[in-house]
Amino acid sequence: MTCAEFQVQLHAYVDGELDPTAMTIAGAHLGGCSECHDLVARERGLRQVLRGQPREAASAEFRAELRARVRRAARVAAMRPWLIGAAAAAVALLAISLWPGLRPGPSLVAKLASKHSVYAEIEQPAEFRSDDPRAVELWFRERAGLRVTVSDYSPSGIRLLGGRVAEAGDRQAAYVLYEKGHTLMSVFTVPAAEAALTGARVSYRGHDYLTLQRKGYRTVAWTDGQAVFGLISMLSYEALLECADRLRLDRAARLGA
Amino acid sequence: MRLIGWLTGEEKIREFEAAALVHLDALFRSALRLTQNRAEAEDIVQDTWLRAFRSFHRFDPGTNCRAWLLTILRNAFVTRRRRATQEAVGESALPDDAWQSATDTDTLIRHPEDALLRSVVHGDVDRALRELPLAHREVVILADLEGLTYKEIAQVVACPIGTVMSRLSRGRAQLRRRLGHLAREPGYAKEPE
Repeated sequence: MTCAEFQVQLHAYVDGELDPTAMTIAGAHLGGCSECHDLVARERGLRQVLRGQPREAASAEFRAELRARVRRAARVAAMRPWLIGAAAAAVALLAISLWPGLRPGPSLVAKLASKHSVYAEIEQPAEFRSDDPRAVELWFRERAGLRVTVSDYSPSGIRLLGGRVAEAGDRQAAYVLYEKGHTLMSVFTVPAAEAALTGARVSYRGHDYLTLQRKGYRTVAWTDGQAVFGLISMLSYEALLECADRLRLDRAARLGA
Repeated sequence: MRLIGWLTGEEKIREFEAAALVHLDALFRSALRLTQNRAEAEDIVQDTWLRAFRSFHRFDPGTNCRAWLLTILRNAFVTRRRRATQEAVGESALPDDAWQSATDTDTLIRHPEDALLRSVVHGDVDRALRELPLAHREVVILADLEGLTYKEIAQVVACPIGTVMSRLSRGRAQLRRRLGHLAREPGYAKEPE
């Protein structure tokens, strides 16, 4: 790869938007080219400045005003015969639940795994960096409205790096990123009522998981009827299953609370 | 099935608020950065909010609510701007290409030492953003301030991902020029300008 070729992809590289193959090729070029390496550092610097800008919030009064307006609008709408609209909505809902394209297909885990392999190439894979599980959970809620449980694996020497939101088909996937030594581990949560998961079935501490190995990455996935969960890493299956079990327990405790 | 829910107003409001309220700050911030004017930003967010509520039945739960809301916001903003420039009476709204010919491009780097000491403060970024053409400003806001993916941005600004990428790279380059050396990595800042 030449410098000119890399520089065409510079922004996509910095933004983590290249596909895994392109990412690997770009990474190899960067390893031996200080000029392009500096360009990457400069782009990251600018992004850091922008992301560090104050994050203004809508005032409480404005928020209250909006909520009141929606209620007024709803009252006006209720006076109109909007049952027709409701019937249309019912049909739409039915269509959504019948349309298979809207469900994560069998390749969901494979798709997520290939994203993971991209993140493994980036220097700072987390979009939001924090080693505090609660802060990461809060970020997911605010960033994407995703309710994610973030487990603390630090007793096992697995360090929390932060979170990242990615697309998985038409869904948003929450990626929680961890690191053990230099090995990245992603824990993803995709809100989806059902998903056709593929892989070899493994039972661990009374729960079933589907495991899959692809290009050196191991994945352990399961679903609880509300979301699909999965762990992806080069770490051993034993380590992944133990983390999966921890997450299940944490999640159950959280939902129970 | 919760079909009944679609029939009662309060239920509809609850569903809407459950999905949308978490994104209100992001909408407000984006509007603020687009307009650089609090009152106008609030007007646009209010338009957006009501439009979103009225068309909430078209939103597919579980898909990207933030991108959906930002799309509505962006449309509300563009419609207003178009109306404002047509009326063109004393509005502070300049036509988009007026940003391009901004003459005070170099004010920030006229006194490099001062600028260096000051480092990048809030006002600088806003000023630099204001000078970007709208097409570039909006992608930079969405990508770098709000952290949207290329795909989400393409949805919001209704153009192909390739266009998003080229606008983003041009927008960032312009922004960096405007910010002078303020935005550079410490390693760069040490270089004499």
